[in-house]
Amino acid sequence: MNETQHVSSQFDEDLSLLRTHVLQMGGLVETQVSAAIDAYTTGEISSVKTIVDTDRKVNELEKAIDDDCAHIIAKRQPAASDLRLVLGISKIVTDLERAGDEAKKIAKGVRRIYESGHLPSQFGVGIRHLAEAALTMVRQALDAFARLDTAQATSVIRADSDVDTEFKSIIRQLITHMMEDPRTITTAIDIISIARAIERIGDHAKNVSEQVVFIVDGRDIRHTGKEAIK
Amino acid sequence: MLGWKLLFHIGNFSRLEVWSRQPKADSSLDGRGEWGSVFARIYRHEKDMATQIVRREEEVATLIAAGQALTDGVVLLDENYQIIFCNTTAEMQLGLVIHSDRGQPIINLVRQPEFVDYLQAGDFSRPLTMRFERNEDRVLSIHVLPYSDSRRLMQVKDVTQTDRLDRMRRDFVANVSHELRTPLTVLSGFLETLQEFEVDRDERSRYLALMSEQSSRMLSIVQDLLTLSSIESAPPPDTEPVDMISLLDKLRRDAEALSAGRHSIVVESDGQGDLRGSEPELVSAFTNLVANAVRYTPAGGTIRLSWKAGLQGAEFAVQDTGIGIDSKHIPRLTERFYRVDRGRSRDAGGTGLGLAIVKHSLSRHQAQLEIKSTPGVGSRFAAKFPASRVAGIQ
Repeated sequence: MNETQHVSSQFDEDLSLLRTHVLQMGGLVETQVSAAIDAYTTGEISSVKTIVDTDRKVNELEKAIDDDCAHIIAKRQPAASDLRLVLGISKIVTDLERAGDEAKKIAKGVRRIYESGHLPSQFGVGIRHLAEAALTMVRQALDAFARLDTAQATSVIRADSDVDTEFKSIIRQLITHMMEDPRTITTAIDIISIARAIERIGDHAKNVSEQVVFIVDGRDIRHTGKEAIK
Repeated sequence: MLGWKLLFHIGNFSRLEVWSRQPKADSSLDGRGEWGSVFARIYRHEKDMATQIVRREEEVATLIAAGQALTDGVVLLDENYQIIFCNTTAEMQLGLVIHSDRGQPIINLVRQPEFVDYLQAGDFSRPLTMRFERNEDRVLSIHVLPYSDSRRLMQVKDVTQTDRLDRMRRDFVANVSHELRTPLTVLSGFLETLQEFEVDRDERSRYLALMSEQSSRMLSIVQDLLTLSSIESAPPPDTEPVDMISLLDKLRRDAEALSAGRHSIVVESDGQGDLRGSEPELVSAFTNLVANAVRYTPAGGTIRLSWKAGLQGAEFAVQDTGIGIDSKHIPRLTERFYRVDRGRSRDAGGTGLGLAIVKHSLSRHQAQLEIKSTPGVGSRFAAKFPASRVAGIQ
């Protein structure tokens, strides 16, 4: 009796440590995204190298957490909500890693634009707004995971369509610019790739939130449309 | 006899039994015979406990209220850095929600890597100062203090304002030295050349012209600095009305002289109302705005001066069709020596102090400087005066 109690509390500790590791990885990704956007608005491309280097750390964390998940499943054979937590986490880290990759893409795009001597400022406002919305989604998705708060998670899922709409309107704006003045095409294409990366970050935040709902309620709400989200 | 005694005990016992299901200090417990004193002791004990609990609760509530009253954020953490308590200031500063976050490791919610590294390194001899991304880049200074064995008290101070002032002071000293050194370097370079080498007459007069240009640059910087400090220490401006019709006329002539026919200058005014204040200060503020507009508007552009006064207050505005200013520079424009583009504004002949002087003179007249600008389209600088500074309006 005493033995099993000891084992299970050790197990709880393992799970709580696993969650903290995921959230630390998430914190790193948040910082990466906001640093990439700062580079875009300030034009300080010296930070691009730091962002690219830090991405390696994000990748390592993904591998380490995945290993931990496999260990826990093999050693503890968790059931029910514990199993859902471990399965959900292994999906969440994939999305976080990809969001980190998108941050790296943004940083590299920023470097290309500024190094070619252009200023993205005439498109700046829309992009920054889009980025802020996506960053908030990431932040709230991670908060929802930390607090296992499905209400917060569903509000992130809803916010994704706003980001998508805003992304489309930026693309339309850029197309008008390009038609008016073909010299802007090179810069505009780089900006489109940045906007696309930001939009993808929003998608990853949405996926994280869907996993939170799965972990808490056991419902799989991926690809089910708006009705399934209560 | 025995039966009667048994009944007596059972009666007392059942009374105790009923009371003990819901022991309360206000519903009394009385027993008969020798049971009486036993019951009385139990009852008194219960009553003491109840009053003690009430007192303790009051004490705890006072302590929590004291914690809430602190203007600094306070977070109590256990040995695993899990949240035990935090006050509302900390909730706002760090984005915590105490009723759901109690027991949560703090690094699950405050995830910024600098903070996580700081906690994990465990060296709390120095506070951590960080720009907190999730709260609009406020600058927070975080102290971690150990208390009762392995618990920790985290004190969070918002130092955004001090940080900004520090930066401005540093920038100011660096900028003054830089601004003065540049012309000095030119001067001393030419002086050396003139001392060491024989130069012909033409060359010599060219050097002298450049030298006097630089020395007058330095003079105008020093002049502007003196103006600024005299505005700062001067008594409040008087309330004599300043004739706006002649002031606008003077501004138009100044603008035309500075523009030398490259821009069209438009004045929009219905001639209503005058400003109460110090004429030299207002003239210098408005001239600065007009000169900036001329300087940063390409040839062929339009500069529009407008004056509108009413019962609510008055507005003097300068609108141009110039190069415009990116929105990220606007909040810092009135800092001393702040330049959007270093090379360009110096070529245009600015000292970097113009808008600082404008802002100071205006705020001495209780006026606000409102800046609106779109890059590539133009800018609008408006001075908004309160009704108390307006004269001649019925």
